Amino acid sequence: MLENAWLAWLILGSPLIAFVLVGVVGRRLPEGGAYVVVGSFATSLVIALYFLAQVLLQGAVGGTTSFSIPGFTWIPGNPATVTEEGKIEIRLLIDNLSAFMLVLVSFLSLLIAVFSIGYMHEEEGKPRYYAEIALFVAGMLGTVSADNFLQLLIFWEIMGLCSYLLIGFWYHKPEAASAAKKAFLVTRVGDVLFLAGILVIWNVFHTFRFEEIAAEIPVLWGSSFTPQLATLIPLLLFGGAVGKSAQFPLHAWLPDAMEGPTTVSALIHAATMVKAGVYLTARSFVFLVPIASGGGILVAAVPWTAILVVAIIGGFTAVFAGSMALASYDIKRVLAFSTISQLSYMFLGLGAGAYLMASEAAVGSPEVNTVGYSAALYHLMNHAFFKALLFLAAGSVIHAVHTNDMREMGGLGAHMPWTSRTMLMGALALSGIIPFSGFFSKDDILAVTFETGAANPLFYLLWLAGIATAFMTAFYTFRMWLMTFHGEYRGHGHPHESPLVMTSVLLVLSAFTLASGFIAFVTNGFGNFVFYEEPHAALPLVTPLLSGNVVELGLTGLSLALAFAGLGLAWVVYARKSIPASTFTRTPTRAFLHSMLLHRYWIDDAYNAFGSRAVAGFGRATDRFDRNVVDGIVNALGRGTVVTAALADRFDRKVIDGAVNSISLETIRSSLALRTRQTGQVQNYTWVIVVGIAVILALAFILGFLPRTLGRP
Amino acid sequence: MIPVEYELILSLALFCIGLYGILVRKNAIIVLMSIEIILNAAILNFVAFSSYIPPSGDPAGQVFALLAIALAAGEAAVGLAIFLALFETHGTVELDKIRLLRW
Repeated sequence: MLENAWLAWLILGSPLIAFVLVGVVGRRLPEGGAYVVVGSFATSLVIALYFLAQVLLQGAVGGTTSFSIPGFTWIPGNPATVTEEGKIEIRLLIDNLSAFMLVLVSFLSLLIAVFSIGYMHEEEGKPRYYAEIALFVAGMLGTVSADNFLQLLIFWEIMGLCSYLLIGFWYHKPEAASAAKKAFLVTRVGDVLFLAGILVIWNVFHTFRFEEIAAEIPVLWGSSFTPQLATLIPLLLFGGAVGKSAQFPLHAWLPDAMEGPTTVSALIHAATMVKAGVYLTARSFVFLVPIASGGGILVAAVPWTAILVVAIIGGFTAVFAGSMALASYDIKRVLAFSTISQLSYMFLGLGAGAYLMASEAAVGSPEVNTVGYSAALYHLMNHAFFKALLFLAAGSVIHAVHTNDMREMGGLGAHMPWTSRTMLMGALALSGIIPFSGFFSKDDILAVTFETGAANPLFYLLWLAGIATAFMTAFYTFRMWLMTFHGEYRGHGHPHESPLVMTSVLLVLSAFTLASGFIAFVTNGFGNFVFYEEPHAALPLVTPLLSGNVVELGLTGLSLALAFAGLGLAWVVYARKSIPASTFTRTPTRAFLHSMLLHRYWIDDAYNAFGSRAVAGFGRATDRFDRNVVDGIVNALGRGTVVTAALADRFDRKVIDGAVNSISLETIRSSLALRTRQTGQVQNYTWVIVVGIAVILALAFILGFLPRTLGRP
Repeated sequence: MIPVEYELILSLALFCIGLYGILVRKNAIIVLMSIEIILNAAILNFVAFSSYIPPSGDPAGQVFALLAIALAAGEAAVGLAIFLALFETHGTVELDKIRLLRW
C-alpha cells in the first residue's frame, strides 16, 4: 500500500498553483515570482522522492509496485457492466517508472529554475517566463504520472503549448516567433499520429488505462486485437514519440528551438518535452512486447515490424543528427543535434531491447531480458543530467559573451574557470569517456544492440551506426568545448564568470553527472528502478563490464577507443591546430559535404520548399480547379439561367403580353372603326334596324320556312 | 266580300310607303307622318283579320284597332312636342342636322 497517496496530487499540483500565482501576481513578487516557482519545484521533488522511496522499498520485497491513485471520474461509464465499461477517470499512476521520472523531472526543473534566477535576472517579462516554466513542468509531471493515455495526451499537449510559448519567449524576434511556430507545428504532426493511436486503442480495448490495456491484450488477442492492429498501434504511438523527441523525419523543430532562452533549452532537452517521447515509448512498451496473462511474453502478438521501425529510426537518427552537429558553429545547435542523437540511442536501446526480449522468449527462454529497456531509461537519466549541465554551462557562456556563435568565443577558460571545468565534465560524459555517466549507459545500449544482432543481423548495422555516432559525438563535443574555452578570445568586451547562483547549479549537476553512472552498480543495477513486467533480481544492467565476456569487453574497448579518437582528433584540429580546420573544406567534395551538414542535409529547406512549393502548388491547383471547374459550373448554371430567363421573358413579352395587347389593341382598333358608324343620326340607325330585320326575316325564311315548305311531299 | 289577301297587300304597301318616308325624308314632320302611315298599316291588319277569322270574325280586332288609333293620337302629340323642343334648342327640325343620339 502506498502511504499518504493523496500527496501525489501535490507533485503536479504545486507547479500548477505556482503557475496560477505567478501568472496573476508575478509582477509584485521578488524576481518575478522565481522563488515561488523554485519552492513549488522543491515541493514536487520532496514528495516525488517520498514516493520513489516507498515504491522501491515495496518493490524490493517482491510485491506489486504499481499504484493507481484515484482522482475523480471524468466521464461515467456504463453502470450496467461490472467494470463500468467506458468510464474515464483522472487518476495518477505511481510505479517504478513514473516515480523515477517524477524525481528526475522535478529535480532537474528545480536546478534549472534556480539557474534561471541568475540567467534571467536582467530580462523583461520574468513573471511570464516563470509562470510558463511552472506550467511546462506541471505538464511534464502530469505526463509521466498519467494513469491512462487520454490523461497523458492532455498533459502532453500542455507541454506542447508551453514549448511554443517558451521558445517564442522573445516573440519580438522574428526567428524566435517562427521557431516557436515550427516547434508547435512539427510536433503536431506526431501528435496527430499519437491521437490516432489512442483512438485505435479505445476502439479495441474500450479503456485508456495502461494497467487494463496490459491485462486485456492477451484476452483480446486473436479476437478484436488482430496482428494488423498489434503493428499499427505501436507505430502510431511511436509517431507521437518521434514528433516530441525530434527523431527523423520530425527532427527539424529542435535545432530551431534554440531561439528560446538557454534555460528553456535546458528544460526542453534535459527534463521535459523530448524525454516525454522516450517515456511514451517506454510506457507503451507492452504493445511492443505483450505480456501473456500468466506472466511471460505473448510471442505471437509481438509486432516485429514495429520494433524494427523503432530501432531503425533510432539508429539512423543517431548518425544523421550527430553528423549535422559536426559543422555547426552555434554552441546551442551543437547541443541540440547531440540531444537528437542521444535520444536516438534511447530509441535504439528500446527497439533492440524489445527485439532481444521477444526473440529470447520466442526460442523458449523463461527469463525476461529487460536489459535494453533498462539501458534506454538509464541513458535517459544520465543524459538528463549531463545535457542539463551542458546547456546551463552554455547558457553561462552566452550570458557572458552575448552570442551563440563559437567563432566569436575562444579562450574563455581563463575568464570563466568554473563554467569551463563543469562543462568539461558534461562534455566527457556526452562523449562517453569512462567513468562519466554517459559511458555506462551508452555502452549498455550498444552492447544490447550488438547482442540482438545474433537474432537479426540488421542490428549489427545499427550497432555500427551507434559506434560511428560515438566517434562523432566525441569529436563535435570537444570541438565545441575547445572552440569555446581554448585558445585566444575572438569576441569583444570582457567576459566574466557567472554569479554564484548559476555556478553552484553547474557544480551540483557535474557531481550528478559523475555519480549517476554508478547507480548501475548499486544492488541489482538500474533495472530495479525501471523494470518491466516483474522485478528481476538477476540480470544486473552492467553485465557487459562485469561479465568478463571477452567479446563484450572488446566491444566496450572499441567504443571507448573511438570516443578517445574523436576527442583526440578534435584536440589536434582545434587546440594544437596541427591539422587546420580548413582541411575539411579544401576539396570540392569535402566542401560539398561540409555545406550539406551546415544546411542540415537540406531537409529544412526541403520542408520549406514543400511548404512553399508543394502546398502552395496544391493551393494553386485547387485555386485553378476552383476557378475553372467550380466557377465554370457555377457560371454555366448562371448563364443557363440567364438564357432561360431571356427565353421566358421573350415568351412573356411576345406571347402572353402579345395576346393581351393584341386583344386590347384589336378592341381599340375595332372600336375606332365602329365609332364612325355611330353618327347620332336617327335615320342611320333606322336603316340598320330595317336592314337587320330584313336579314333576320330572310334567314328565317331560308332556314326555317323554306325547308319546311320544300320538304313537304 | 273582299279577300283578305287584298287587304294585306294594301297594308304591306302602306307599310312600305311609311318605311320609305322614315328612311329617306329629312323633315321630322314628314317622318312623323310616315310613322302614322305605318301605324295605320298595322291597324288595317287588325281590322282585316278581325273580319277574316273563321267562322264569323272576331270583334276584338276592331276594338284593338280603336285603341291603337287613340294611342296613335297620343303618340303624335308627344312627337310634335319633342319636335317643338328640338326646334327651340337647335333652330331646325331637319333630322340630318341633329346628332344627339351618340355618346
